Amino acid sequence: MKKYQLGEFEEIVLLTVGVLYGEAYGVAIKEEIAKRQNRKVSVGALQSALRRMESKGFLNSEFGESTKMRGGKRKRYFKITALGKKALDYNMQSRVELWNQIPDVAFEFKLC
Amino acid sequence: MSKRRNKPPRFADRFLSWFCKDELLEEVKGDLQEFYVEDRKLRSRWRADISYWYNVLHFLRPFAFKRKQQNSNTTIMYRSYFKYAWRGMRKHKAHTFLNLMSLSVGLASFIFIFIYIKGELSYDKFHEDSDRVHRVVIDLLESDGKVLPDATTPPALAYALKNDLPEVEATVRLFPNWGNKFLIGATEDKKFYEEGMIRTDSTFFEVFSFPFLHGDPSNALDAPDKMVITRSAALKYFNKENAIGETLTIYGQENQVKRISGVIEDVPINSHFKFDFLSRLDFGNIDQNWGFWNFYTYVKLGKGSGLEEFQSKLAPFYKTARPEQERYAPIYAQRLTDIHLTSNLKWELEANGSKDNIYIFGALALFVLLISCINYLNLTVADSLRRLKEVGVRKVFGAHKKSLISQFLIEALVTVLIAVIAGGILAEVLFKNLGDVLGREVSILQIENLKVFAGIAFIGLLFGIMAGLYPALHMSSFKVSNAVKGVVGSQGRSAKGLRKTLLVVQFAISTFMIVGTLVVFKQLKHVQNIDLGFSSEQVLVIENAQVTGNQKTFKSELAKLPNVSGVGASSGIVGGLNWTTTLGYPDGVLLNFVITEPEFIDVMDFEFVAGRNFSREFATDASGTNIIVNEQGLKELGLTLEDVGKSVPMSIQNDTIQNGVILGVVKDFHFANFKSEIKPFGFYFRDRTEGNLGVKFSTTNLTETLAQIESVWYEVANGAPFEHYFLDENFATLNAQESKLSSILLYLTALAVFIAFMGMFAMANMTIKDRLKEIAIRKVLGASVSGVSKMITQRFLILVLLANAIAIPLAYYMMQQWLEGFAYRTNIGFMMFVLALASTLGVAWITVGYQSMRAAIINPIKNLRQD
Repeated sequence: MKKYQLGEFEEIVLLTVGVLYGEAYGVAIKEEIAKRQNRKVSVGALQSALRRMESKGFLNSEFGESTKMRGGKRKRYFKITALGKKALDYNMQSRVELWNQIPDVAFEFKLC
Repeated sequence: MSKRRNKPPRFADRFLSWFCKDELLEEVKGDLQEFYVEDRKLRSRWRADISYWYNVLHFLRPFAFKRKQQNSNTTIMYRSYFKYAWRGMRKHKAHTFLNLMSLSVGLASFIFIFIYIKGELSYDKFHEDSDRVHRVVIDLLESDGKVLPDATTPPALAYALKNDLPEVEATVRLFPNWGNKFLIGATEDKKFYEEGMIRTDSTFFEVFSFPFLHGDPSNALDAPDKMVITRSAALKYFNKENAIGETLTIYGQENQVKRISGVIEDVPINSHFKFDFLSRLDFGNIDQNWGFWNFYTYVKLGKGSGLEEFQSKLAPFYKTARPEQERYAPIYAQRLTDIHLTSNLKWELEANGSKDNIYIFGALALFVLLISCINYLNLTVADSLRRLKEVGVRKVFGAHKKSLISQFLIEALVTVLIAVIAGGILAEVLFKNLGDVLGREVSILQIENLKVFAGIAFIGLLFGIMAGLYPALHMSSFKVSNAVKGVVGSQGRSAKGLRKTLLVVQFAISTFMIVGTLVVFKQLKHVQNIDLGFSSEQVLVIENAQVTGNQKTFKSELAKLPNVSGVGASSGIVGGLNWTTTLGYPDGVLLNFVITEPEFIDVMDFEFVAGRNFSREFATDASGTNIIVNEQGLKELGLTLEDVGKSVPMSIQNDTIQNGVILGVVKDFHFANFKSEIKPFGFYFRDRTEGNLGVKFSTTNLTETLAQIESVWYEVANGAPFEHYFLDENFATLNAQESKLSSILLYLTALAVFIAFMGMFAMANMTIKDRLKEIAIRKVLGASVSGVSKMITQRFLILVLLANAIAIPLAYYMMQQWLEGFAYRTNIGFMMFVLALASTLGVAWITVGYQSMRAAIINPIKNLRQD
């Protein structure tokens, strides 16, 4: 279990990297999250999540091209690894299982 | 445009590069830059800058930090500086010890005094609107026009103030226990005598804000049978904090049952009145009563009305409120927060502090701190001169100026840090041992004191850096060639001049403090030896004697005890509370008096100058017009010894002159502290039950006698507790301010002299070490031991003489000023100065002489063979 542990924010970042397949670098991820989740993310928070998942083996990365806009600095592109994919699957699986376990009565509430 | 336009703030960038890991840096910088460019398209420059900064600062996370390499040059150097500091301290153990000792002692006494003064200054500031609360007082006007400052006011004042002056938002009257003890009980078997009872108005909590634990301040006293108590009272009577709804009974002629409507936090120590029970005034309607001068009146002014304006309205207000009067006593308002330190009227609710003492203590604390700082500075500078060679060698091996400075600074910091910690511990020890001097429990670990300590520690460290900075800059600026040779040059001489000046300052302060302490002690001794005019020794006072069913039998039972030689009842105790009245014709004087009986005069052993004691054989003695006065009273009444025993006009009541007889005149005696002159005092005789019993006993078998008295008490007292004190103890408290001053003074002076002594010791030690070679050569050339020793000692003695010459006139002047404040004062003797001079010279002579002798006795070979 432990080896697939994913935090909520980590999961979002990991999924976004997947969504952006091939185009996932810092700015793009941040903007994608801002667009889809309506959530402001600081570079620091994002980077720390990315690094953490890289060290867990859910992501790998390589340097890409540099652009003028970046002042000649190269981008670092992130990709989901097989382990990362497994972690996502596992996470979804466990959510679905939990979801299915909820008895129907739990939803029978009325707004009065 | 674009280049400048798209440049993110440079400093933020540099900051990022400084802390961020290299492997992250490129990418992150790129990301941030890209953002910034996007941001700039949408937003103004400063908004974009702020968000850039925001992102950079958000990057301050552990994962992004550069890891310092374990063997980076800086780390190693810093570690070695600490090592040098440690080694240096161990090498010069005596020097280090003296340095640390003097610094920490100085810091400790400073912390101690600082916290004491802070406590004194914090009085009554805890009330929410303490700046708007004032006490209104009316002085007492005697018929001969003399004005006596007096804190009490009649009850009508508060009522009139509230009605007549629009800026008065609320008023409240306090009626303290006036020396009475109330028997209060929760149940029949849980009764205690209580002094902390204040009766007041329902508006009490509109003016004062004591924090409530339970209950609501707005209606806590809105009914006459409601009572507010403190937490400790609640715990004492009910064993629980929430005592709301419980009842307490105040026993008296009629028992009163009070409902507890509020429990407040215990009254803090820095409140100028203290209480455990607050109940409503129960004197009927007293709102028009201008004659019952036993109340304290407090007002809360509306927002925005100042004290001056209010003050200026008081005199006219008083005139309109009491149009029938011929003359008006001064009426004025005091700031609530000033009462403790500056008021000092008669009948204060609690003994006031003294602003003078605050100044004196403050000055002393600064003195001691100054002396120890000078010591530190002196030793550090002297030490650094000695290390010239070390600096030279370091420079030869390539030390930068910068690294030399950091080395010296770190050494200074380590010393100061240790001293600060030791000082804190010492201060705590002082607090533990001097708690009774402060009159309260203090610990440095209390939050507010920790803050003070942190502040002082911070300043101490700053000072340490400054003190370290001088040698650091000084030493690092020498030329290498000179430094290695140990040539000090002109700069060294200036440093020596500085050291001498500092030494003189130190000893001047020491002399000053010695003289000051001697004068204070002499004054205290003088005061203690003043003939009180009666005997306060061997007199036991039993309080609450009115509860004994039959006082006559009680007295006769006591008189039968073998060690008891006399028993007399009185309404008050000389040196405690007494009543006052106006007496005399045609001009009245204010007379302090007690109601008593002949036996009491005997017990107190008053010495008769003329006339006789009361006697039970003459029925008229107890009529209330016949009186015994002291000499001062006789004088102020305008009578002479010839009038004793004759019927003379005494007072005027309802336009008829009342005659009275002065039965006797006793020698003047002291019944207040020695700052004030002896005032008129009188005794009346009534054959009735009184509250206080004076018992004269012999000191043999004291405990046994006490036990016997106590057992007699319990036979007649209906279960009331036995409350008693010795009269001389009570007298000692009258001069408490002075004895407090003297004990703190003694400690501080001892410390100051001790520190100065250590400074002198270390300085002599160093001078002699520097001159070892010179001494050896002189000896080789034929100088005698005493000659060499004299040469060194002389220089120091001259400095001490100079210090005395500065300090003695100053001390004379200042102490003369201090003594002016006493009505009965001693004189400053010539011997004190001789003593101060002799002790400082002696200390200098011993410390320096001893070391110089030792240096002179050593075989000169030992010091010469090295080169």
